[in-house]
Amino acid sequence: MLTTLINVLSSGLIMGGVYAIISMGLSMQYGVARILNVSHGEFIMLGAFLCFTLVRSHVHPILSMLLCVPVMFVIGFVLHRTIYKKLSDVSGSTAAFESNSMLVSFGLMFVVQNVALLLWGSEQKGYTFLMRSVKILGSPIALNRLLVLVFAVAISFAFYIFLERSRLGKAIRAVSQDPSAARLLGVRRTRVAAICFGIGAILAGCAGALITMINQINTSMGMNYTIIAIIVVVLGGMGSIPGSLLGGFILGFIGTVVNYIDPSLSLVAYYLIIIVLLLVKPSGLMGGKS
Amino acid sequence: MQILNGSGVNKAFGGRKAVDNVDFHVDENEILGLIGPNGAGKTTLFNLISGAIKADSGTITYKGRVISGMKPYRICHMGLARTFQKAKNFPDMTVRENVLMGAVFGKKGTDNAAAERKTDEILSFVGLEDFRDKSPGDIALALQKRVEVARALATSPDVLMLDEVMAGLNPTEVGEAMELISKIRGSGVTIIMIEHVMKAIMSLCDRIIVLHHGQKIEEGTPEHISNSKTVIDVYLGE
Ligand SMILES: Nc1ncnc2c1ncn2[C@@H]1O[C@H](COP(=O)(O)OP(=O)(O)OP(=O)(O)O)[C@@H](O)[C@H]1O
Ligand SMILES: [Mg+2]
Repeated sequence: MLTTLINVLSSGLIMGGVYAIISMGLSMQYGVARILNVSHGEFIMLGAFLCFTLVRSHVHPILSMLLCVPVMFVIGFVLHRTIYKKLSDVSGSTAAFESNSMLVSFGLMFVVQNVALLLWGSEQKGYTFLMRSVKILGSPIALNRLLVLVFAVAISFAFYIFLERSRLGKAIRAVSQDPSAARLLGVRRTRVAAICFGIGAILAGCAGALITMINQINTSMGMNYTIIAIIVVVLGGMGSIPGSLLGGFILGFIGTVVNYIDPSLSLVAYYLIIIVLLLVKPSGLMGGKS
Repeated sequence: MQILNGSGVNKAFGGRKAVDNVDFHVDENEILGLIGPNGAGKTTLFNLISGAIKADSGTITYKGRVISGMKPYRICHMGLARTFQKAKNFPDMTVRENVLMGAVFGKKGTDNAAAERKTDEILSFVGLEDFRDKSPGDIALALQKRVEVARALATSPDVLMLDEVMAGLNPTEVGEAMELISKIRGSGVTIIMIEHVMKAIMSLCDRIIVLHHGQKIEEGTPEHISNSKTVIDVYLGE
């Protein structure tokens, strides 16, 4: 019984942490850069394969994850500075930009997926890492899972604190709450949006890297995570970072419990949650405004 | 000494001229009033000056530099700040955090400690200390408007543009707002104010510009404006 409980608890924290990380990334890209990034999952896949490739070249998995950070940031930042900024210059209004940018991210999804398919093929890939287990309260838990748990929880909370405390975090919050007021108070809105897109890519990449430490990966893994991230973002309230943090853990725990009962039911459970939520509180858990 | 100057400024929305070939100037440390009936183009002129929207043609210079076409954040860094007619406070931040945003980002190279200090200074200057930890959505309208003013002041402006900060206030609150505006000017800030409250405009302003259908129809001292036949016709025609 205790073993089951600890199993569910640790799995819930792992899944919840990973969901929180990817959802905060998506939420920020939408809330600040106004891009509903449908290719978010592909960045998770990219992070996973980058990490996997590095590990294959004898780089330590944790170091590989850290290396993903600058690489993913540059990819995200440059993507925004080139494609999305252009798009925002030619779109007459925010609403037009939102629909245009979503279409572009759709296109990007296919591009990234196919490039990945060429580079890494379609088979499952993976490596073994820290398979030993330790006993916690008498129940065995694999070290790699414990490590991912710690990282996932730490990254998601560290990111939240970064938003609350740092100067850049303040700019990000200001732009997400009122972009026109923010820029007239001296915030460089376009720059902040590009940085946010880069940070979103970092979070996706780190989540991908964490996933390689405990699971097999393949080049079509992204879509599933995109769907989950969108569900969490709607659950937490569009654009609300604390909402995504909370929503990620809630969905992670529910997913774990449902998985324990019958894995095929998890997506059904997620959609049920969304339907109930949209009926009860359409703005999401923490979506106060708009 | 002119601090701000516009010549031949034009802006049309879908063929309709919102600001029509307007020339204007603002002298250092004066209070300039901007009045005119609804839809006259007053807010649009603020949007053009602050860089929120781009003019179709015309030039705006500030401290001798052309600012038309510059990004809003750069114009703000140069010392031009504004408030919004429809309050645009950050809803998920406290009053203090709202003001802090202006202090942190409004001037280049402000460090955090200086911004925190500045924020507390401004909060007491405008009399908002007691509301610092409240959400701007939970306080009276007069106070919300004050948060807007405080946030703009926190950017350390040389020119402050106030867009109807007295709209919806009761007579006591209007009096308090007038006091605050004099106090701000007293601290060396140049002020441009859009206002429909005539009593306030007439007693505070050194000079007034009247807009109508996007055009400047009159300009002068409060006495001159209150005796102008053109202005009276426009207001009676409303
Ligand atoms: N972003 C915009 N898009 C389209 N039309 C606009 C826009 N902003 C202003 N207008 C139009 O330009 C004209 C001038 O508007 P503006 O807001 O400048 O008037 P105002 O003098 O500030 O009026 P009020 O006293 O009611 O605030 C109006 O006809 C308005 O509908
Ligand atoms: Mg107006």
